[in-house]
Amino acid sequence: MIELKNIFKWVNQGGNRIFLLKDIDLTINEGEFVSIMGPSGSGKSTLLNLIGMLDGFDEGEYNFMGQSVKNLKEKQRSEIYKQNVGFVFQAYHLIDELTVYENIETPLLYKDFKSSERKAMVSDILDRFNFVGKKDLFPNQLSGGQQQLVGIARALISRPKLILADEPTGNLNSKQGEEIMELFTKLNADEGVTIVQVTHSEKNAAYGSRVIHLLDGRMENK
Amino acid sequence: MFKNYLKLAIRNLWKNKAFSAINIIGLSLGLAVCITILLFVQYERNFDGMHKKNIYRLDEVQSWEGMVQPQKVALSMYPMGPSLKNDFPEVKNYVRIFDFEKAGLEYKNKHVYLEKVFWTDSSFFNVFDYKLVKGNSRQVLTQPNSVVLTEESAEKLFGQEDPMGKSVSTYNMRDTIHFTVTGIMENVPENSHLQFNGLYSLSSIVNPNDTTDGGNRWGGNWLVTYLELADNSNTKNMETRFPKFLQKYMGPEIIKGYQLFLQPLNKVHNGSSDITHDYHNFRKFDESYTNIFFIIAFIVLIIACVNFINLSTARAARRSKEVGVRKSIGAHRFQLVFQFLGESILLAFIAMVIAIVLVFLFLPFVNNLSEHQLSLSFIRQPVLLLQLILGTTVVGIISGIYPAFYLSSFKPVKVLKGIISTGKNKSFGRNVLVIGQFASATFLIISTVFVVKQLSFMRNKDAGFNKEQIVMTTGAYKRYAELKIALEANTLVKGVTGSSQRMGNNFHQTGFNYKGAGPVKNLASSHVYVDSDFLSLYKIQLVAGKDFTKEGNGKEYIVNESLAKELLKETPKASFESLIGQRFWTNEDSMSTIVGVAKDFNFNSLHNKIETLALINQKDGGFHDISVKIDGARAKEAIDFISATYKSICVSAPYEYQFLDEHFENLYKSDAKVSKVVSLLAVIAIIIACLGLLGLASYSAETRVKEIGIRKVLGASVSNIVSLLSKDFLKLVLIANIIAWPLAWFLLGRWLENYAFRIDISIWVFAIAGFVSLLIALLAVSSQTFKAAVTNPVKNLRTE
Repeated sequence: MIELKNIFKWVNQGGNRIFLLKDIDLTINEGEFVSIMGPSGSGKSTLLNLIGMLDGFDEGEYNFMGQSVKNLKEKQRSEIYKQNVGFVFQAYHLIDELTVYENIETPLLYKDFKSSERKAMVSDILDRFNFVGKKDLFPNQLSGGQQQLVGIARALISRPKLILADEPTGNLNSKQGEEIMELFTKLNADEGVTIVQVTHSEKNAAYGSRVIHLLDGRMENK
Repeated sequence: MFKNYLKLAIRNLWKNKAFSAINIIGLSLGLAVCITILLFVQYERNFDGMHKKNIYRLDEVQSWEGMVQPQKVALSMYPMGPSLKNDFPEVKNYVRIFDFEKAGLEYKNKHVYLEKVFWTDSSFFNVFDYKLVKGNSRQVLTQPNSVVLTEESAEKLFGQEDPMGKSVSTYNMRDTIHFTVTGIMENVPENSHLQFNGLYSLSSIVNPNDTTDGGNRWGGNWLVTYLELADNSNTKNMETRFPKFLQKYMGPEIIKGYQLFLQPLNKVHNGSSDITHDYHNFRKFDESYTNIFFIIAFIVLIIACVNFINLSTARAARRSKEVGVRKSIGAHRFQLVFQFLGESILLAFIAMVIAIVLVFLFLPFVNNLSEHQLSLSFIRQPVLLLQLILGTTVVGIISGIYPAFYLSSFKPVKVLKGIISTGKNKSFGRNVLVIGQFASATFLIISTVFVVKQLSFMRNKDAGFNKEQIVMTTGAYKRYAELKIALEANTLVKGVTGSSQRMGNNFHQTGFNYKGAGPVKNLASSHVYVDSDFLSLYKIQLVAGKDFTKEGNGKEYIVNESLAKELLKETPKASFESLIGQRFWTNEDSMSTIVGVAKDFNFNSLHNKIETLALINQKDGGFHDISVKIDGARAKEAIDFISATYKSICVSAPYEYQFLDEHFENLYKSDAKVSKVVSLLAVIAIIIACLGLLGLASYSAETRVKEIGIRKVLGASVSNIVSLLSKDFLKLVLIANIIAWPLAWFLLGRWLENYAFRIDISIWVFAIAGFVSLLIALLAVSSQTFKAAVTNPVKNLRTE
């Protein structure tokens, strides 16, 4: 599904070239649950954003589901992204002005679903996450864990094949974190959703089927 | 989708109340100004819109020897209409109009006094679309001594009685004439440039076939001619054939002094500012003013739009997260652009609704100020309503397009990490816009000062004669001498004099002959018949010769300096003294001479240069205008006394009076109107610009909250912080001033060229305008910066 070959990414700062990612070779197959670990500034989030096509790279080759990302036009890239990827953020990033229901519904708006279809899909997921009673609340009326669940529900609503999670439990207490991890495991096992998560915690990383360690932009051998 | 955006937009507006309020107030003010100006322009352009035929007014350009400059006049000659109809296939019909004084009508001993009754041709109702209530439009004015009254006049004179066929007579004219009422017409609408209370048949006073009648000849310009042309007539082509036409009837030399041109009816009201002797042009308006209003309204609206642009981009940080999230869950950039545009359009519509309410509330005030009868009723017309909706959408797009593209350009990876690029580059664009706003506002302040100054200059300039405490009345004619003696007997009256025309009116021109050292010289000049004490009452100074004498009646002329120079054109070295005693006459048999040269005085409005003028000592037949100089300390008593005396001597004539200085005020009415409107718009522009500045200042204080906190911890005082935050804005206002000044200097210089007598452009006005704009900006900014400066720094730093 994801194939990275000799990926380099850098920024130029005052004549020096600072490498964010160095020579990354990584293949992730459909149905995998991969955890990326490493200290702060090791390039974990950069790699995740790159995989999610939110960020570019300077050298190397990236194939997403058999298509070379480098040669895609902006519009095609955004189309592939819309169809296949769901993002979950550490800070949840819900839209404060929208209710739970509306936040979850938003991705569907960008995919031109009909109003009735949207309604059915959102109700379905609200059911699954036990959020029916909270659907008219605004994000600031929810706890952190609940907000992250809404974030995940929003990522799942468009039935992505790949979920990218950037420290999804970073702002949560351990009990809430466990719930989220179990949810990911279940999604991975039951529905075959590919999951790539960035995490600091060994414990959370262990939920994954594979762990990748990054240090100073380079993949470490296990 | 749309519903979602709408919901979100409303929530956003509600959440950021200060931001929304600034934008909505600014935009509503701007839109209200635009709606009002549009109503105003529509009103002016629709003047005379009730007439459907292809009507033109025939005007002349006169450039006779002796005139300071050629003049366009709204007058024409009696035979021109019929001859044009005869000679030009394009001319389908003509109608002529004349009026010389207010009409006193009598019916069964009831006296009614009508402001204006026109003498006109029987074709009047065929050419114009005024509506007759009673009578046949083809016949009402065919017979001599017919009169058509408006419903209002008929009711005044007849009450409930049926006026048709009744006989009425005039009572204030030199001869009593009897008329038969042949028709009743609807009252003249307010937006007609011809305003009148009734119509007499012109054939009552002029017989086209009577060779002894001077009125029907070529040469005398005493009435206004309107022509109905066939559709699609080429008026330019007709105008090229006019010189031949004039030569045919008046000889080959005539074209040296005369030209004819056609003015479309819908331009008569708006496009006659350079036409003189234009007596029947109600609320004459200068079209160039509508353009000025348009431009100012546009500037005000743009200032309001700029507020939106500036505040939206300044607040970008707040919305950047939303942009990042939406993009990361699949929003395409254009979807975001539409979302943001939708918000600004929604805002524009809210502002439009408020604007309409504002216009509705303030229209009576505007009408009062501008003496118009504007109404919002046009909103009921679907086409105009559609234009309004379209216009509002455009305003929304103009103010929203840049913020929309700017906001939607954020890269999700960056904004979600909290790195937002609202650095120096972005504020540069904002600064340029603020400078533009304040440059416009400062420009308007400067313009207002100059417009007001020019106006007060015209009101207060020494016109070369004394117009204080002079009461004007009219209509005594042959009773003049008797009235003068009676009035002067009382100490309330300082003096009485008479003249054929009133100061401030454009005196009529006529031809004169002058015999100096050389051959006889023929030339044209304005002229006025006056009593022998006219110059002394008006304190007009003589530069040569002596004043009129009582004995010199009919034989003495005093010319003004302009005419004296004209007479001495061939002998420039000769002094004014050399003119004294030279023969000067209109008719060969009068043995009249020049006795004096008067210092030039502004007998006209100060829009015009001082024309050549001959004053004639001639009191036979009395005077139309009587000037009574009164004791200013007892004005009320004096007026009562004049009224009583007038009524006892001129029994049947209606008594009306006017102070001469009021009469002069009226000459500057349209200027006064413009200056009021411009001042009002300048104030609104400044308010809107300051609202924007207020918003930016509060934003800037907000984003620099941490910096302020650190500085305070390091020991900065409140005044340090306020000056730190205010400095940047004041710099912008200063730059705006530097841009506005030369622009104002240039444009106002050009505007002032319209006035023959004008003020100098003084530098201190610019300095004061600059100071005022700085002060206002400082007030707007400091309220915000002060608030930021006094906050406890610990509170702000703790959040980090």
